[in-house]
Amino acid sequence: MRAEEQNVGLQMTRAKIMVVDDDPDLRQALSLRLRANNFDTVNVCDGYSAIAMAQKEKPHLIILDLGLPAGDGFAVLKNLQQYPALSVIPVIVLSARDPEGNEKRTLESGAVAFFQKPADNEELLGVIRASLQAGWGWGGCLPS
Amino acid sequence: MEHQPARILLIEDNPGDADLIRLRLVESKSEVHVNCVPRLSDALACLESETPSLVLLDLNLPDSHGAETFRRILQKAPNVPVVILSGQDDEALAIKAVHSGVQDYLVKGDITSKQLERALHYAVERQGLLHALEISRKQQIEFKNQFLSHVSHELRTPLTCIHQYVTLLLDGLVGPMLPDQTDYLKTVLKSVNQLHAMIRDLLEATRAETGKLRIEPRCTDIGELVKQAVAMMRPTAAEKHISLEVILDKAIPLVYADPDRTLEVLINLLDNGIKFTPPEGSVVVKASMVETDLSAVYLSVTDSGRGIPPGSLSQVFERLFQDPDAVDGSRTGLGLGLYIAKEIVTQQNGRMWVASQPGIGSTFSFTLPLYSLAKLLFPLITHKGHLRESITLVRVELTPISKVLRGSWKETCEKCLEVLRRCIYVDKDLVLPPMESSGAVETFFIVAAIDMERVSIMMDRIHGQVGAQPKLKAGGTLRVAAEKLPVSNRDDSRTLEEQVWGVADYITESIQQGLCSK
Repeated sequence: MRAEEQNVGLQMTRAKIMVVDDDPDLRQALSLRLRANNFDTVNVCDGYSAIAMAQKEKPHLIILDLGLPAGDGFAVLKNLQQYPALSVIPVIVLSARDPEGNEKRTLESGAVAFFQKPADNEELLGVIRASLQAGWGWGGCLPS
Repeated sequence: MEHQPARILLIEDNPGDADLIRLRLVESKSEVHVNCVPRLSDALACLESETPSLVLLDLNLPDSHGAETFRRILQKAPNVPVVILSGQDDEALAIKAVHSGVQDYLVKGDITSKQLERALHYAVERQGLLHALEISRKQQIEFKNQFLSHVSHELRTPLTCIHQYVTLLLDGLVGPMLPDQTDYLKTVLKSVNQLHAMIRDLLEATRAETGKLRIEPRCTDIGELVKQAVAMMRPTAAEKHISLEVILDKAIPLVYADPDRTLEVLINLLDNGIKFTPPEGSVVVKASMVETDLSAVYLSVTDSGRGIPPGSLSQVFERLFQDPDAVDGSRTGLGLGLYIAKEIVTQQNGRMWVASQPGIGSTFSFTLPLYSLAKLLFPLITHKGHLRESITLVRVELTPISKVLRGSWKETCEKCLEVLRRCIYVDKDLVLPPMESSGAVETFFIVAAIDMERVSIMMDRIHGQVGAQPKLKAGGTLRVAAEKLPVSNRDDSRTLEEQVWGVADYITESIQQGLCSK
């Protein structure tokens, strides 16, 4: 009975995550994993579309690569800050680049976390849940 | 050089010799400006303000003699060509000078104006070539670093893709797997992880080479770290039926080391030990104090493997060293692990070495310096040879998801420093609200010295969870409570060092009595 109620609750409030990465295979793999963990996903392949899609879809969280065509990850972070509605969305950077230098810079640019590829799945999911729970832009209950 | 006159700094105390040399230099075809000084101290002062084209040097001066003279000049102006013009025909000294970086050693009276001009000209040319070589060497290192950084980035991208799909399959997120299939995929994942580790080692070795390893030493419970490393490696040992034993002294003092990096070293040594020990063998980790050296904790990892041939013993810590007799199964790295481990230990003021007996086993040992609060406190709580009047003891709590605090220990320290500065700016007495104890992930203490506008800070985790910690990746709060502690006693007859020791005890006691935990 309780489980059912929870399920209904979850369907009503599934968190939406936008994955920004220029590698289509990786986008698909990430989306599969996120959907298996009860998240909705939106995929984007470049920096320019990331902003347009964020405005249209209002995701609850963004997973962002740094090396992107049409505006790299840093440009996306900067652009997100320009829009009050988008600046509150937590952004997790997932990049193959060296954390040395890049980690600090992304966090200073407004990201909530930096993960180097390949990231540990459980750790990444943990931070996604924690960031959503902290309530930036999303007040719903969390998919467990 | 051809259009601008050469500027020669002549260091010669004998006025007759000086005039003669000056005359010879001016006589020669090329245009030169000669600045003559009689003492080494004058020369060093000159080099402070301008860089000559060449230094022409007598060795025996009123304020310096022999090798000391050129050593100090070379130290002061490493990029300026130096030529010695000496009254002594001393071949041994001449060779020593050239080995140290002097361009030429000429003997007064043996040389004509023409020869002198040529010698000086060639000295300048040679120095120029050396300089160009040095620049080229630096450029090559820089290129190599950029290349490795680029390659590792490019390798990570496809590796991430493999990792993602393999884990999708293994986690059963895209349908059920047969047991055999799961086993095969686990083998794939193991190889992916090995590749990942190799890429990481490549970059780490480059950093070690250029002294850029990220090491943040702090107060660390080494016994806990040993237990943690052993717990992490137990499954690997069990898989190979190797017994893993821990021997810890009853009371091991705290060490001053980076817990994450030290854990890495322990895991590396354990992994090697297990790798090179046959099934049913044993690996023993020991942490102890040794009577002959009470300033460090000794750690060792002993295996019952086949040992290292005496000929290879001196090379095991070198880059890219691979055991020539290793069977393919145990060759899983680039041969950089021990090199990196030794660098991590050395940069924390420890030592690392190996002893081995073929057929019996190997022991890798390393030391880590003891943690001494008094030693760390010294620069902080003394000011111009006296103890400061008071210090501030601050309790900091980190909650699990902190938006404020992210990243490394150093960044955490910087953040705390910033908070403290802000507090002090507003209220010089540093009155902060006391905090209720909460479900903090980590609690630690800061000792800060405050003199009106400036606060210097030192962080030490004296209590709370020690050892490697989960990284605080995102979100949350930093909670701070501070208390001012008077430390100076005007009538104190003890030496400054003894007083600092006293303060260190006082701080430890204060924390233990919960002074800062109300």
